[in-house]
Amino acid sequence: MNTTPPGPADEHASSGGYAGPVVPARPVRAVGSAAAHTMRLADEFFYLAHDDQTGRPRLFESALAHGLAAALLAELCWEGRVTFEGRQVRVTNAAPPRDWLQHLVLDRLVAEPRHTATRTWLAFVGTTACEQVATRMWQLGLVQPQQVGRLWRQRTVYVPADMNTAAWSWARLSFQLRNYQQLNAFDVALAGLAMHTQLDPILLDGAPLAARAFLRQQVEQAHLPLRDLLADLGAVVGGAVLSHRTT
Amino acid sequence: MPRSSPDTVSAVLARGRLGIPSVVFFVIAAAAPLTVVAGGATTGYAVTGVTGIPVSYLVVAAVLALFAVGYVAMSRRIVNAGAFYTYVTRGLGRPAGVGAAMVALLAYNAMQIGLYGGAGAVTAQFLNDRYGWQLTWWMCALAVWAIVAALGVARIDLNGRVLAVVLVAECVVALAFDAIMVTHPADATISFDTLSPSHVFAAGIGAALVTAITGFVGFEGTVVFSEETKDPRRTIARATYIAVTVTGLLYGLSAWAMSVATGPDRIVEAARTDGTDLIFNLVSPYLADSVVTVARILFITSLFAALLSFHHTVARYLFALGRERVLPAVFARTSRHTGAPKIGSLAQSGLALGVLVGYAVAGADPIVHLFFWVTVTGGLGVLILMTVTSAAVIGFFARTTHNEGPWRSLIAPGAATLALGGILTVTLREFDTLLGVEPDSPLRWAFPAAYAAAALLGLAWALLLRSTNPDIYAAIGLGADSDTGPLRAPETVRQPA
Repeated sequence: MNTTPPGPADEHASSGGYAGPVVPARPVRAVGSAAAHTMRLADEFFYLAHDDQTGRPRLFESALAHGLAAALLAELCWEGRVTFEGRQVRVTNAAPPRDWLQHLVLDRLVAEPRHTATRTWLAFVGTTACEQVATRMWQLGLVQPQQVGRLWRQRTVYVPADMNTAAWSWARLSFQLRNYQQLNAFDVALAGLAMHTQLDPILLDGAPLAARAFLRQQVEQAHLPLRDLLADLGAVVGGAVLSHRTT
Repeated sequence: MPRSSPDTVSAVLARGRLGIPSVVFFVIAAAAPLTVVAGGATTGYAVTGVTGIPVSYLVVAAVLALFAVGYVAMSRRIVNAGAFYTYVTRGLGRPAGVGAAMVALLAYNAMQIGLYGGAGAVTAQFLNDRYGWQLTWWMCALAVWAIVAALGVARIDLNGRVLAVVLVAECVVALAFDAIMVTHPADATISFDTLSPSHVFAAGIGAALVTAITGFVGFEGTVVFSEETKDPRRTIARATYIAVTVTGLLYGLSAWAMSVATGPDRIVEAARTDGTDLIFNLVSPYLADSVVTVARILFITSLFAALLSFHHTVARYLFALGRERVLPAVFARTSRHTGAPKIGSLAQSGLALGVLVGYAVAGADPIVHLFFWVTVTGGLGVLILMTVTSAAVIGFFARTTHNEGPWRSLIAPGAATLALGGILTVTLREFDTLLGVEPDSPLRWAFPAAYAAAALLGLAWALLLRSTNPDIYAAIGLGADSDTGPLRAPETVRQPA
């Protein structure tokens, strides 16, 4: 449990490099094992923010949407396509990323240069992020759409194909934070997203205050563009809480 | 840049934005017109014994419109614009801001908790009269409290459409009642005596003016919506003026109509005898029972809407202050599933419960001692906040470069500061009249002194933070934006989009 998943951090860190063909993950049934394939930040955050068995959200709607939007922008940052400077997001390399969803988001960023505020993009990407990330995960066989609810309140939840894969990011972060182990760059970003969407209580449920402080200290170590993004995410989520409208 | 390609980002983000009517509905519903007309105005007559209540509503509406000029102009330039203390922070400095925040917490809590007295007493009376139940006011107040507490944590606010329907119904009822009362005057003559400007210089006018201000509390909420409107520059300004004008005229008209129906010389006596029933008793000879019953139910729903609205206001204040770490960080906790400011909401409900139990045990009168005393004390707090905010608007525009003319940046806020300061002075001088107690009663000083204590506490706390925790001190007034505090200077211009 105390090891980080192979690959993602290093692959993300060496930006621009392709991670090799994505192998659709087959449900792994062995108890206690975890998926051994490249995860993307938005996918991992999606897992973290949903129940690993039922697929129901653990987080209120606007925080989830903005968190996923921030995760997608962070993915582009890791791919070396965009960077964050203060309150602005700037496209540094318009070459299309391999992933269709990253491509889609980058395309909009390139096509709409008049909007540069990170918050504007968090709000814009957030309007569709949930559906899009779920679709991407469904295409990889990570989740299965399922209709739930009565006739008049039907909605789709995306049930994880394998609960061990789904719970892995939660288990990893929770274990490392409780044991004060340094997080790698990928996990710092994931923990930062959780912290700024107010999802951190699920990671640190019942943990001592020192673990909370450790989380904060780890997230503060993130490199500057990411910290800028997280600051805007936190402000947007806080703004949603303060907003009068509650729907 | 040539705008050849469609701006899809703006188009997508513009979906679901609010227009003027929605904003007006939200804030007027929070101000709860029928609560003010049937509860505030009648109890105002009864407790203060002042007949100039109608003209006070009109005077206060004019002063608040003046106040709104600078207030709305400044709201376009700051983030976290929903809170008075943000204005004070940016205009008069952080220590004054924290002082204002403490005053605001006390004032909005007083508004909310006081309303429970009205809601409890009115609901109990309605149920007892209609169904012959033997309920006490505090049973009903606790039932209402439980519903508000549950909706607060679940972050359920009344739906905009529901609010609009209820609000329109309330206004129709109030106007219909006014028409009936004016067409059936006492002594067969319509007297304009209670609208006479001479009342403004009469004894006890301070009490009448602060009663009127209490009725308007909630209108300042328009600016909260500025980031959610189609056109922040125009929508908010117009919605604010419309809200002040509509409520001002409605309150003034209704309070005057009551005095016509009873005769100006007997209004105080009638209000003391009938209490919050006055308006219903005055019209019931001319209307079917069912209409009066519907009106009474609307009175209760309007109290409920106001209770819920002020509950959310307090919870959000606590959240913003917790976020800035001015209050303990636990207040910044939200409910994961609903995004409600959970701890803030629970704290407010807990405080309200404590006060309700205290009043029930002490056997105090729910209408006079809880509803009127505590809400007008809340009104006094908001009056203090508006006075200070008005001064802060001048300070803000004096310090920043801007393109507003002198009317918005100096003349209107200056005049509003003087007018509000004047009202504040006479209110404090006549606080005994307001409470209906003897001039030498210690109570007349106890309520205002609570605000002085809160302000001093906030001031001292801010100065302590400045020396011990500069990071927190720097983020004061940023609300949700305090996350970005350590990284960058506060944003001075709201983002478009």
